[in-house]
Amino acid sequence: MRFLLRRLLRALLMLLGVSLLCFAFTQMAPGSFFDEMRLNPQISPETIATLRAHYGLNRPVPIRYAHWMLSLAKGDFGYCIAYNSPVGPLLWTRAKNTLLLTATATILTWLIAVPLGVWSASSRRRLADRFIGASSSLMISVPEIVVAVALLAVAVRWRLVLVGGMVSLGFDDLSLWGKVRDLFLHMLLPISILLLGGIGVVERHVRASVSEILDTPYMNAARSLGIGRMRLLFRHALPVAANPVISLFGFFLAGLLGASLLVEVVTGWPGLGPLILEATLSRDLYVVIAATMLSAILMIAGNFLADLLLIASDPRIRDGEAHAQ
Amino acid sequence: MRNKTAMCVLMIALVLVHLALLFAGFFAPYDPAAQNRDLSYAPPTRIHFVGSTGFHWGPFTYGMVKDFDGYREDQSQQIPLRLFAKGDSYTLLWVFHCKTHFFGADRPARLQLFGADAYGRDEFSRLLYGGQISLAAGLVATLITLAVATIIGTVSGYYGKWIDEMLMGSAELFLALPWFYFLVGVRAFLPLHVSPKETFLLLIIVIGVIGWARPARLIRGIVLSARTRNYVVAARAFGGSDFYLLRRHILPETFAVLIPQATLLIPQYIAAEATLSFFGLGISEPVPSWGNMLSTLQQYNVLVSYSWLLAPAGALVITSVMYWRLADRLHYWLQSH
Amino acid sequence: MATETIKANHSPLLRVCGLTKHYWTSGRVWRKRTLFTAVDDISFELSHGKTLGLVGSSGCGKSSLARCVTRLEGADAGEIWLEGVDIARLNSRELLPYRSQIQMIFQDPATAMNPRMTAAEIVQEPLLIQRRGTSAERQARTAELMREVGLSPDWMNRRITEFSGGQRQRMAIARALSLQPKLLVLDEAFTGLDLSTQAQIANLLLDLQATHSLTYILISHDLSLVARIADEIAVMSAGKIIELGPVRQIISTPTHPVTQSLVTSHHGFRVQHAAAGGFA
Repeated sequence: MRFLLRRLLRALLMLLGVSLLCFAFTQMAPGSFFDEMRLNPQISPETIATLRAHYGLNRPVPIRYAHWMLSLAKGDFGYCIAYNSPVGPLLWTRAKNTLLLTATATILTWLIAVPLGVWSASSRRRLADRFIGASSSLMISVPEIVVAVALLAVAVRWRLVLVGGMVSLGFDDLSLWGKVRDLFLHMLLPISILLLGGIGVVERHVRASVSEILDTPYMNAARSLGIGRMRLLFRHALPVAANPVISLFGFFLAGLLGASLLVEVVTGWPGLGPLILEATLSRDLYVVIAATMLSAILMIAGNFLADLLLIASDPRIRDGEAHAQ
Repeated sequence: MRNKTAMCVLMIALVLVHLALLFAGFFAPYDPAAQNRDLSYAPPTRIHFVGSTGFHWGPFTYGMVKDFDGYREDQSQQIPLRLFAKGDSYTLLWVFHCKTHFFGADRPARLQLFGADAYGRDEFSRLLYGGQISLAAGLVATLITLAVATIIGTVSGYYGKWIDEMLMGSAELFLALPWFYFLVGVRAFLPLHVSPKETFLLLIIVIGVIGWARPARLIRGIVLSARTRNYVVAARAFGGSDFYLLRRHILPETFAVLIPQATLLIPQYIAAEATLSFFGLGISEPVPSWGNMLSTLQQYNVLVSYSWLLAPAGALVITSVMYWRLADRLHYWLQSH
Repeated sequence: MATETIKANHSPLLRVCGLTKHYWTSGRVWRKRTLFTAVDDISFELSHGKTLGLVGSSGCGKSSLARCVTRLEGADAGEIWLEGVDIARLNSRELLPYRSQIQMIFQDPATAMNPRMTAAEIVQEPLLIQRRGTSAERQARTAELMREVGLSPDWMNRRITEFSGGQRQRMAIARALSLQPKLLVLDEAFTGLDLSTQAQIANLLLDLQATHSLTYILISHDLSLVARIADEIAVMSAGKIIELGPVRQIISTPTHPVTQSLVTSHHGFRVQHAAAGGFA
């Protein structure tokens, strides 16, 4: 329980820190912010004046921060000039798409990589182990951008999957099954790119943890007692290997979010990635801040989830507090 | 023993690659910025040994002529390849003016080993010059990260208490952020259109500074444990100052961590520069970098028809894989010591 | 508690008054940290040329006391008078000239010396730090010191990993002697050496003591060793000195139960209880 509270506190502190950091960015040359807006003929001087007053640029910094946080809490993330709409709703749709992509990619990656890693570490067949190991190393070494562009080229040349965007034209007219199928076909390319990048990392980590566990004295003792291989693996080795593997989750999420940005832009998937890129190129800085904050929140939430998993799986952490007394 | 030879081979290969890129002017047959609208999207020039007059020892090529919807070779004139040919002038190592290139061919042939891009610029030459930029970005950004990480990690580990808590807390914060999103975010706030030199500097500073957290934690761990070692305590008993203790006893311990970290960071930073330049947030035209050379592939017709423009991707893969393999081997080697 | 002043011919080299050192256990932000007193109001005196043995079970505060006296750590209260100067109050710059007077020999010579350095570099290090002499002079002094502790100067350029435990301890002693200290604190310096090596080092220390009129504080949990080398003995328990006196007297007639159990656990000693059983 204590562990949970501590982790929750840490997550909240990190959220605070991220918000402070993003706020610091908004304060970086705020004048030039609006100067750039002034150059944009689509925005009238009156709008700029209202926005300036709205963001209270004349008040001291802590008040500005409080004001900003309040408006965030109300759901007011600022205004996006390019799309001519408030940032909030824009962000939501995009965030949902990114969530769909990243959640699916996460589940699939771990579903494939963990058994692969465990099998590779525990099986006796050296050749398969080395093959898997080499493939993982290769997958890690190739930069995501290359994987993305290469797979895109392959997909486009050979018309294997539907490329571009999330849905086809006339999506709404399709039946439920048709919709699912359409979505699935569009997801194939981005998911494949993400999988190629992610499986290698996770598999290597899992394999390393499991082989380390399998080599320990107590595993050898269990083996000499005649406990069967399957039971050894699932009952004795894996629960211990779970801890370092779950701890990987945070770093994995960070890498995945970064990769998803790339993949979304390259494949045209309408997520947070293309949004933040367009916003950067068109100097829509409120959008950038909001998108960055959102991605940070996603990560912190994901990390917290991993902490929960850790508590559930590792009895040492649950009992740790009791012993510390 | 095998591990050691593998490491040496990799290191030598990497050094050779870096040297080749350093002398890009010499190995590239053409000026990377020289446009040639007649040869827009020309395919790679083919090298022949057998021509109308039979087999030749020296390789030769033909000129390219624009055809119906592509290019064909103009077989009327056989133009031999030369070693150490005279070509466009360039500056070797930014100091010496030279005109000799490693290989080349006379006009009207244009020896474009990897074809030409939209403006008719030689892709191979751009690859070499672009490599300079991309690799330099990776290396310098790594240096910046490690420098910042060493300073912060050392201060944190050596002085401890609230400084340590504060610095490591912010490190956790930085680690909690999705690195790449943050990179784009920070880049967004910096001026978009500046001179290529400033862009380069900006880019490497941003990439370098953001990545300080993980190596800083490692260094802090080392400094922390080294600080309590008895020989450090004894040296203090002899009257050694903080500076002496750090210089003589503590910092040398960090090298064992800094070098593997460097081999891990360099390929990641090269990839980061490539990705940012791909999106138009990094090095901008006309300066070539492997990233911005790949950005033309965002156009459908380019992606489908002109596959030679994927050359920078190949270059990225080769350098990246070599660095990662080196990092792996280094890791094994250090573990067994 | 009564401090027994040892009658000396001249004023003492070291006088410790009311030395106290606390440690805070690492706690959480919302939990109070508990105070652990390692050294609790300790006072004693030490005359020139004598050897004080400091014994007690693990955790009684011997090492903490040693580190406070050698100013490797700062004490929280009390005075440390070294030949008329209270070194407990000095800051690091003022302390510098006095650093050479007290030196410490650690328990594990392997960790007390940087494995990347050669023997010569290790022995010279104090001279280098204190900037005494030129490089050539330091080399000469190193050779001289090594000979004194029984090591051959031919081994000057070897790394310490090539030396045995006993040789390393000799090197540590040579290093400590380089600044010509008056007081050497030996913190479990014999633990980890085999018996014959212990005897050799013990003899070396006794010879050095005679040659250079050194004063020793010998910390050990090995009572027999202390009995051989020390003149006086102080028994510590839970941060306090519970018995202090000449070595023969304390060992033959221990008055405190802790001392008694210490003595009885070392076979070879026979305890003669004081008259009315128990302690005075």
